[in-house]
Amino acid sequence: MSVTPKPAGGVGMDMTAMGLAILLMLAIIGVAWYMFGLSLIFYALIAIIIGGALIGFGVHFVPVGGAPAAMGQAPGIATGVAMLAGGAGLAGLFGGAWAADLGIVVACAGGAIGGALMMAITCMFVNVIYVYGMGIPSASGKAKVDPLTGDTQTEYKSQGTEGHGLPFISFVGGIVGGFLGGLGGTLIYYVLLKWVYVEKLAHALGAGPLANVTPIAISLAGIFAIGLFLVNAVLAAYNITGTIEGPHDPKFARWPRAVVATAVASAVCGIVAIAIVAV
Amino acid sequence: MVENIVLGIGLTAMAGALATVAGAAEDTESDIGSQGDPNSQVQLAPQMGYVHRIFNKAIAGEPPAYGLWVALGAGITGALLAMGVNAILALIIGTVLTTLVQGVYATTAYLGRIASLAKFGQPVYIDILKSMTTVTMAHAFVAIFTTVAMCYLMNAALGHPFPLALLGVVWGIALGAAGSATGNPYYGKERQYQNQKFGAGVPVAASGNIVRYAEAGERNSLDNGWFTSKLGGPASGICFGLIVFLELWRTVLFEPFLHGWGAIIVGFIIVLVFTIMDRYIEVWARRTYGPYVKEAAA
Repeated sequence: MSVTPKPAGGVGMDMTAMGLAILLMLAIIGVAWYMFGLSLIFYALIAIIIGGALIGFGVHFVPVGGAPAAMGQAPGIATGVAMLAGGAGLAGLFGGAWAADLGIVVACAGGAIGGALMMAITCMFVNVIYVYGMGIPSASGKAKVDPLTGDTQTEYKSQGTEGHGLPFISFVGGIVGGFLGGLGGTLIYYVLLKWVYVEKLAHALGAGPLANVTPIAISLAGIFAIGLFLVNAVLAAYNITGTIEGPHDPKFARWPRAVVATAVASAVCGIVAIAIVAV
Repeated sequence: MVENIVLGIGLTAMAGALATVAGAAEDTESDIGSQGDPNSQVQLAPQMGYVHRIFNKAIAGEPPAYGLWVALGAGITGALLAMGVNAILALIIGTVLTTLVQGVYATTAYLGRIASLAKFGQPVYIDILKSMTTVTMAHAFVAIFTTVAMCYLMNAALGHPFPLALLGVVWGIALGAAGSATGNPYYGKERQYQNQKFGAGVPVAASGNIVRYAEAGERNSLDNGWFTSKLGGPASGICFGLIVFLELWRTVLFEPFLHGWGAIIVGFIIVLVFTIMDRYIEVWARRTYGPYVKEAAA
C-alpha cells in the first residue's frame, strides 16, 4: 500500500529527556552570560532561541499531505513538511533581510508577512488545481466540521480517501505557519547580523571601516539563518511524523515537545554561530 | 526618483515573468522525472505487479534538489561575475554547468531507483534513460537559467543585500516548494491515475495501479510531461511568478512609506485578498460539485 502508516508518536512528553534538554540549554545560556555578560551578544543568543522556537511552533500549522495528497488521498499540500516550511520561511527571510536597515520590528514584520504571502499564494493554488483541474472539493479527514467556517466535511470526502484539498482551517494554518516561520527566520538573521557579526567581524578581521565587512557579515548571517531554519524545520517535521492537516489535527497537540527541542537545538547552533566570530 | 520607481516596477515585472517561466519549466521537469511525491506510485507499481516505462529520479524532494541546482548555478555565475565575465555569458555558463550536474544526478538517480526494483521484474530501459534524461536537462536548463537570472536582477539591479549564491538557495527552495505544492496533485492524481474517476480522490485500494499504456504503445514520461504542461506546469508558473512579483512589488513600491510599514500593510492586504479568493473557490466547489454522499450516510 502507498499509505504506509508512519510510526505514530504520542502527544505526551518524556519528562527526563525534556529536563536534560532544558538543562543543556540553560548551561549554554549560562556560558554565554559568563563569557559576554548582559551584552547584545548574549541577547542575540536569547533571540536566536526564541526565533528557533517560533519556527518549530510555526511548522506545526503548515498543512502537509505528502505523497497521499498528490493522489488526492489525504488533505494538505503535496510535499514534505520541512521543504514547504523551508520555502515559506526562506521567502520571508528574503523580505526581512531587505528591510534589515529599517530596524528589528519592521524587518521581522516584513519577514513574517513575506512568509505568510508565499503560503497564501501557494495554498490558494493548491485549491485551484484541486477544484478547477481535478474537480475535487476540499474535505478534511481529521475534523467533521471546519472549526472556522462551520462547513461539514465528511460528506465531501470521496470514497476510499482520507479527504483532499485544503479546507479553510488548513489554509489559515498555512498562512500562520508561514508568518511564524518568516518571523523566526528573520529574527535570527537580524540579531546575528546587527548585534554580532557587523561589529565583531570588523574587530576579528581587522578590516577597518564597517563597509568592508558588511558583505561578509550579511553572507554569514544569511547562511546561519538558513541553516538554523532548516535544523528547526526538520526537527519539527520529525515531531509531526509524516503529514499534518493544520491546527485542527490531533498531531498539532505535539507542539510543546517541538518547541523545547527546537529551542535547545537553536541554543546549540546559536552559540556556534556566535562563537565563530565573538571568541 | 520617478525613474527609480519606474525602473523598479519594470525590474519587478521582469523578475515575475522570469519566475513564471521558471515555475512552469520546473514543474514539467519534475513531472517528467517523477521528482515530486507521485514518485512513490512509480516506485510502488512494479511491487504490485505493474511493470512500467516511467522515468523516476526522485532521490531528493523538489525543494532541496532545486535549492542545490539554483544555488550552484548562482554560485558559478557569481564567481564568473567576480572574475569580470560579462553578465549574460556568466549566467549561461553557470546554468550550462549546473545542467550537466543535473544530468549526472538524473542518470544515477534513475539507475539507482529502478535497479532497486529488479527483484520485482522491473527492467532498466536504456532507451528511456537516453531520451528522458536529455529532456529533463532541457527543462532544468530553462528553470535554472530563469531563476538565476531573476536572482541576478534582485541582487544587481534591485539591491537585495544577499549575495547571488544565497539568493539561489532561498529562491531555489521556494521554487521547488511552490512547484511541488501546485503541480504534484495534477501529475499524481490526474495523470498517473487517469483510469480512476474524475472528480474524486484515488481510493487507497487502487494505489500502485498507475496508467501504463498510451494511445499507441506504452506510456512514458514524455507523455506525462506533455499532459502536465497543459495545466500543472502553467499553474505552478503562475503561482511562483505571483509569489516573486508580489513580494518584490510590495517592497519596491511601498517600503518608502511609513518607515517601511507600507510594504507590510500592503503585504497583509494581499494575504487577505488571497484568503477571500481561496474561500470563494472552496465554497464554489462545494456548491457546484455537491457532496459525494448524503450527510446521514456519511
